[in-house]
Amino acid sequence: MAKKRSKKGQRPAVKADAPQAASANTPTAEKAPPEKAASRPEKTSKSSSKSSKTEAKNGPAKLVTLPPAPSPAFFFGYDVPWAKLLVFRFIVFGMLGVDALLQISHAPRYFAGGFNVANLPWMDSLGPGRVGFAIGELVASLLFAFIACGVATRVLLPLVTAIYGWLYFGSQLDSYQHHYLVWLVLLLSCFVPWEKPAGTPAAQPVRAWAVRLILIQLGILYFYAAISKCNPAWMDGRALELQLQGPVRSLIDATIHMKAAAKMTVLLEFSLAFAVWTRRAWFYALPAGVLFHVGIIASGLEIGLFAWLMLGFYLLVVPNEVYAATAAALSRATADRDTLLGALAAAIRGIGTSWWMALGGVAGGMALAVLTHFDMALPVACVALAMCIGAVAATREQTLAARVGIGFLVGFAIWFGVDRKTDTAVDYYRFWGGNARRLGDPDTSERAYRRLTQIAPDNGNGHFQLGKMLMQRGQDAEALDELHAAQRLEPGKARAFTAEAEYLSKKGNRADAIKKAEEATYAEPDDASAQALVRRLGGTGAQGNGGGGDDKDDQ
Amino acid sequence: MTALLSTRRGRFIVAFLAIQLLLPLRYYIAHRDPHDERFAWRMFSPMRTAQCQPTITLDDAPVNLGSTFHEAWVEIAKRGRFAVLEKMGAQLCEKNPGKKVVVTLSCSYLDRPNATYGGHDVCQAPEL
Repeated sequence: MAKKRSKKGQRPAVKADAPQAASANTPTAEKAPPEKAASRPEKTSKSSSKSSKTEAKNGPAKLVTLPPAPSPAFFFGYDVPWAKLLVFRFIVFGMLGVDALLQISHAPRYFAGGFNVANLPWMDSLGPGRVGFAIGELVASLLFAFIACGVATRVLLPLVTAIYGWLYFGSQLDSYQHHYLVWLVLLLSCFVPWEKPAGTPAAQPVRAWAVRLILIQLGILYFYAAISKCNPAWMDGRALELQLQGPVRSLIDATIHMKAAAKMTVLLEFSLAFAVWTRRAWFYALPAGVLFHVGIIASGLEIGLFAWLMLGFYLLVVPNEVYAATAAALSRATADRDTLLGALAAAIRGIGTSWWMALGGVAGGMALAVLTHFDMALPVACVALAMCIGAVAATREQTLAARVGIGFLVGFAIWFGVDRKTDTAVDYYRFWGGNARRLGDPDTSERAYRRLTQIAPDNGNGHFQLGKMLMQRGQDAEALDELHAAQRLEPGKARAFTAEAEYLSKKGNRADAIKKAEEATYAEPDDASAQALVRRLGGTGAQGNGGGGDDKDDQ
Repeated sequence: MTALLSTRRGRFIVAFLAIQLLLPLRYYIAHRDPHDERFAWRMFSPMRTAQCQPTITLDDAPVNLGSTFHEAWVEIAKRGRFAVLEKMGAQLCEKNPGKKVVVTLSCSYLDRPNATYGGHDVCQAPEL
């Protein structure tokens, strides 16, 4: 039996191709606009599993020639293989999901002190505040994860574009060029067919005029970036010299020098402005563009995720043939269920479209959400859960439910990973407490520092700031506990010892104050304020150069 | 072009491209603030290296910007963004009615002579 199935698997059966081809090439599909027909999502889980079984039985489906494109073919005849869209979707939207979370530490600065200047003048009072920004980024991250997994992209992409637009246009605080570029790409992505219909081969081309427009937008970016550098200060290398750091700078200094590098940058940007959207020039645009952006990453320029994102966009510049050939090879390798790879693929397909995936994904995702430390994480997760249950209950589609489960798992895994691997949540509370303290809101500051010590009990700064705050408010016993915790966690910093010495001095306990001030100088001999305190109290501490004592780590 | 304009998505494409091609030109043609490079794709331009010192006085007494506004806004002001300084001035005017709020911005550049902007009571004339 196995032998028989294996033989059939190797034979391209014309009859059996029909159901798979239908999604892109039935008479009905031809009547509809090509990209609509080709991108129509699968209707039921039954059709999905039926087509998968057919594929497994008959081997990889044949590619279908697309119908003639409406005019102008430059846009409406622009086709890309499904594999390219799927890879781009997973990597770039996944990256955006991570980036959204990394922004959360900036939330406390939004509307701090009631001040805001929006990117669009009429939005000054409509921009996000701390809570709105944090929730907006959490939701955006989750939506990006869902989109990366191909869940309801036609609904979620416009939604995340609106949220991203509100966050970006609502304030000039984080108005970097790449945020603007991301918003434009999101806007255009709303018109890209991201969901491959079930049974359609990944090597099958699909019409996607919006992808061409995204590439032209990149070309416009390069063009104006080059124009802005056409002046003597750039061309003679001075502007580049002031901004360039890292190993790339050493390399340039040792080889071609700044002037030549500056001129080459302008030439490269002008050439990419045209090559990046011209398919015939991709053989040049791909290596040149990738090397350029890798160079930017290595140069230490402070541009956040911009260079990485540009590298992600270059997935669209990889020739279609590479994706098509890879997808076809994978399809062939997994078509036969009697092989290990085929059985594995079939099992993944089976689990990935089952109710178990839906339940497991949602349960696992919620467990991860509960474990994260982001402010407002749990309410956002609960609302997301309720909305997803509502959507699945309304449609009763097993495939949708399974994808929602996968989206949940991936989305909250990103939350959990970013929370555990970065200081984003800690920084959020640190900055929140610091802002409130400097802008004269001690209640809020105390609340933020208390939360900081809860989520990061080993963070000395949190204990120190909370201790100082409590001391100012007359809660001496608790304040001393916090300062002692800070002294234990930051044995190389004078500030917690100095704060206690000041307190003891004010209370008239001079002997203990001197002892504590001397401890401060032993902890950090260069701390100027500790040395000054020892001198004032008449003690003898360690001698340093007086250059230390930086107490600005909540800014 | 006629074919493009005959469909809704074609008109969207034309409008999108027109906006994206023309919007950056605004910086070169009709922009009163040379430091504001938003929407112009001027990545790593020499203007990025400009160093500005914003000062605000309230009835001739200097205002400590760091304790009045969040330091992120002060950083943007140090990059010379007129809109931010003007809003700072406007907020101080609102909080201190009848007082004189003078906003001054002194900048040094790589590719042009140093310049000073403002220096007047923004409660009377809000623009720098």
